[in-house]
Amino acid sequence: MLPSLSRIRSNIDTITASVLAVWMVAIADWFLTKRLPAVVTALFMLAAVGYLGRLAFQTSRQPIRAIRTLNLQLSALFIVTWPFVVWVLDMLELREASAIFARWGTGGLFCIGLAWFVWGMELASQRFERMRHQRDTNLPRSWHPLDVRAWYYGERSPKLRQSLAGLLSYSLMFLFALLLFSQLSGCQELYEMPAGGGEQQTVAQTVKLQKIIKKKFVVNPFSAILFKVPPIDEIKLQLTEITKHAYTVGYGQGEGAGYAGGTKQGKVRFIRIEYAGGDWDQDFGVGSDLNMLMEYGLRTNQPVNSHTESRTIEQLKNFPVGSSPPFVFMTGQGSISLSSAQVKILREYLDEKHGMLFIDNGGSGHFHNQVLAMMRNVLPQVRPTPIPLDDIIHRVPFQIPFLPYVAPHGGKEALGWRVDGRLVCYYHPGDIADAWADDHAGVPPEIWEACYQLGTNVINYAHAEYSKWLVSRGAAKK
Amino acid sequence: MAGITWRCQEITIRYHRAFILGMICLWTAMIFGSNGLVAAPLDELPLDRWKDLRETERYQMQIAEKYYREQNWKIAAGEYEKFITLHEKSSGSAFAQMKWSICQVRLKKLNTAIKDGFQSVIDYWPESPDAMVSAYYIGHTYKDMGEIKQAKKAYQQVLQKYPKASVAAYAAVDLIDLATLEDDKQTLNTLWKKLTFDTERTNDTRSICENASRQYASHSLYHGGSKKAAKSLSTTYVETSQLVDQLVVLSIQAINQLMQDEKNRTQAEKLADDAINHVRGAMPADISTPEQKLFSQNCWFAIARLYDATKRPEQSDETYKLTLEKLGRNDEILAEYARWRKTQGKYEEARQLYASYENKIEGLSQIAYSFREQQKWPEAIAVYQQLAGMDAERQFDWLSQAASTHRQAHEWMQAINIYQELMAKDADRADSWLWEIAYTYRISGQYKEAIGYYRQCNNFPGNYQEMAICHRALKEYGEAIVLYNQIVGTDENWAPWAMIQIGYTREEAEQTEQAIKAFQQVCKRFPKNQYASQAHAHLQTKYKITVTLGGAKDE
Repeated sequence: MLPSLSRIRSNIDTITASVLAVWMVAIADWFLTKRLPAVVTALFMLAAVGYLGRLAFQTSRQPIRAIRTLNLQLSALFIVTWPFVVWVLDMLELREASAIFARWGTGGLFCIGLAWFVWGMELASQRFERMRHQRDTNLPRSWHPLDVRAWYYGERSPKLRQSLAGLLSYSLMFLFALLLFSQLSGCQELYEMPAGGGEQQTVAQTVKLQKIIKKKFVVNPFSAILFKVPPIDEIKLQLTEITKHAYTVGYGQGEGAGYAGGTKQGKVRFIRIEYAGGDWDQDFGVGSDLNMLMEYGLRTNQPVNSHTESRTIEQLKNFPVGSSPPFVFMTGQGSISLSSAQVKILREYLDEKHGMLFIDNGGSGHFHNQVLAMMRNVLPQVRPTPIPLDDIIHRVPFQIPFLPYVAPHGGKEALGWRVDGRLVCYYHPGDIADAWADDHAGVPPEIWEACYQLGTNVINYAHAEYSKWLVSRGAAKK
Repeated sequence: MAGITWRCQEITIRYHRAFILGMICLWTAMIFGSNGLVAAPLDELPLDRWKDLRETERYQMQIAEKYYREQNWKIAAGEYEKFITLHEKSSGSAFAQMKWSICQVRLKKLNTAIKDGFQSVIDYWPESPDAMVSAYYIGHTYKDMGEIKQAKKAYQQVLQKYPKASVAAYAAVDLIDLATLEDDKQTLNTLWKKLTFDTERTNDTRSICENASRQYASHSLYHGGSKKAAKSLSTTYVETSQLVDQLVVLSIQAINQLMQDEKNRTQAEKLADDAINHVRGAMPADISTPEQKLFSQNCWFAIARLYDATKRPEQSDETYKLTLEKLGRNDEILAEYARWRKTQGKYEEARQLYASYENKIEGLSQIAYSFREQQKWPEAIAVYQQLAGMDAERQFDWLSQAASTHRQAHEWMQAINIYQELMAKDADRADSWLWEIAYTYRISGQYKEAIGYYRQCNNFPGNYQEMAICHRALKEYGEAIVLYNQIVGTDENWAPWAMIQIGYTREEAEQTEQAIKAFQQVCKRFPKNQYASQAHAHLQTKYKITVTLGGAKDE
């Protein structure tokens, strides 16, 4: 006896639910815990892709095509296939491709969602219209947003207004969901450095004097015709200063200013660390960080982000190894209160993720002690040492012959914490961020210019060291 | 009374001199041993090498050395460079090159110092003694830069190449410092042993080896190795009394550390018992000479302290009683016993011991001090008055102590009366008593009177500072600012402080604009001073003003 149609459908529903549940387990593990072995995750994801693909194929081969079911299955297939591709690329450490797929996939998801939203809205709207026809055309206008005759859509072009309202609501919901999703602790975020190359040398400015000799006509002085002859040595000198960088700022063999481990769409970003206990947001954003970021772009010709950002210490965990920020900035003048979990994240960021802390004392001796105490917790076996003026960080790309500061809150020497010869923390004791601000805290131009140069050096150093590490990691893998 | 040390405190401390001195010596040695103070003899040209220089070379070298001593590093580096250029073949060239490198270190160009300086000495003058010193300096400079791996490598090279030289001992000290940071116990043990037992103790290395022997002993004691500790210390302390002193000091340190955790109590008690046995073994049977008696007394004190460290008060008490029984009563034993009783909170019993002092004056002063410790002011004052009557020679000191006690008891007028009496009687120290009167008036809130007395004092700018405080308390801001301005104009060391005080005074007077200007002036005129930092932060926090006009560079 053949099984009934409803029983077959029930079986299919059970299998679909099971497959999707397994897929969700794999996704949740990928984002949150990463405890499943890669093979298991791949199998789980592949099972969902294969199963949904087969279902869609079967539906498309049916004599009476169920368009809606097919569309539904294709949409689900997209939803499971896209993360699978991103996951595979991630596993292969193809960060650039992975980032591209992640971006395009989000776009695709938005479009598919929008299509279903419009379809649903249209269906509901038609139902309201049918109800209105069946009962009474003179029914009062409703409040329901899916009803095209709702009073707030007005008399003129109510359909257009409903569509616009629908689009806006959907976009906002999508954005909200995206934001919520990105706040999950396991949600990955990528930092991509600008691709390119450069040498680790001090900027050498070449000044060329271009002498332009005015054209002269040699005239026979004994000519019968009288000319006003200019004296032979009257040369109009047009002195033009041609000043250019002798090389590009960056590290590696690529073209243009940038870094060997960077990507085409990569940009230098300025990320500030949010911490508890003090005023992490001193001069944050437009006031100071953005000026520094823009100046960095101008001075190095590297692409920079259009805005500055901030992240909590926990969010640093979201950056994967190999695509985390080469440096993060920290400032303030109050206390720094870190939990042991935060200390661990910072240690991991500096050590395993090859990051760097750029700390600026924003205004007190107390903050100086707080920084020292914090670093003693984060790196107990590393002692701070004064950074010499001839260290690479003070030479490349700009020669810093002296340490500039706005006020000596924590002494007059920059301190550094080194791990295996690399500076993992650069501490400026004298409010460098104030000199980056629009009013430069009223310090002399020589000082704030040096502060910008020093900031550029630190950012470049962090990126160059990160690039070196990425390149050596790649070589080691090969 | 500010600036006057309490006599009674001194008396108490005197009896613990041996113990405290021991501690100071130990810590000083540790600090000196771990830091780079070893550099001093290394950067000097030995006399026998001076005599090898020709007259012109000596002349040039002296010029360079003069600037070096004046810490004018840039010019000194230039002069050393000149020496190398002019006298390339001279025996002093290697030294000049090394000194040039040290100048670079001082100029914060550590990489230049290593690569262009110390390394050049090794490359061009490998046989010279300066090459050996430069090899050590390379390690030391790497360490200062935080390049630990490179530093260790350089130090290891020094140890291998020059094992008998003093620089090997210096390198070992720096390696010990790094191993301590990394908690590398194996390296620490190896190096301590090497310095304690294998290194020849010359004038240069003696303090290093002695320090290492103490550190090794201390480490051994923590791990229950009393015998090892004694063996280590015996390389440094030949006399039994010194050896016992050190062993007790280190044992008490280890015991205190162990006693912080109740779990380690048994280990701590075992350590104490071992040390006590050692002390008993060293104690002289014959106490006929004063030296033997003193040593025996110190041994008893050490035993009592060891019991005390392991919180065994009955045994401590018993030991002190036994000491009195065996050695007879004397003020030193009584003082030690009374001190211990005070630590147990038994003040009355302690005072009974003080009362039985042979030296009655000392005994009474201790009694007065113990009353002050308990905040029993009237009793303390009464004893001081009694002392003033008994001890004519130090009558003014006792009266001053009585006044100071009145002040502690907030009996202002009584204190002032005594100080005025002292001013009349003790003309030699009139300035000091005047200051005390003024200070007492100020802390009692009688500012006008205080100003009157401060005006008579001569210790500028201290008196002006105090007067300004009084004027501010009386809300006479104008007068306070005048005084601060006088300090600004007269004393350049105090000028930044006075300037920022003007800002705060203006603020109190609600003259906001002028206050802001004053704070900005601090930033502008003294950008490198700590008060510039304070003013900058204050302008930003309180007034949200970012233009603070500071800014400087550290060259």
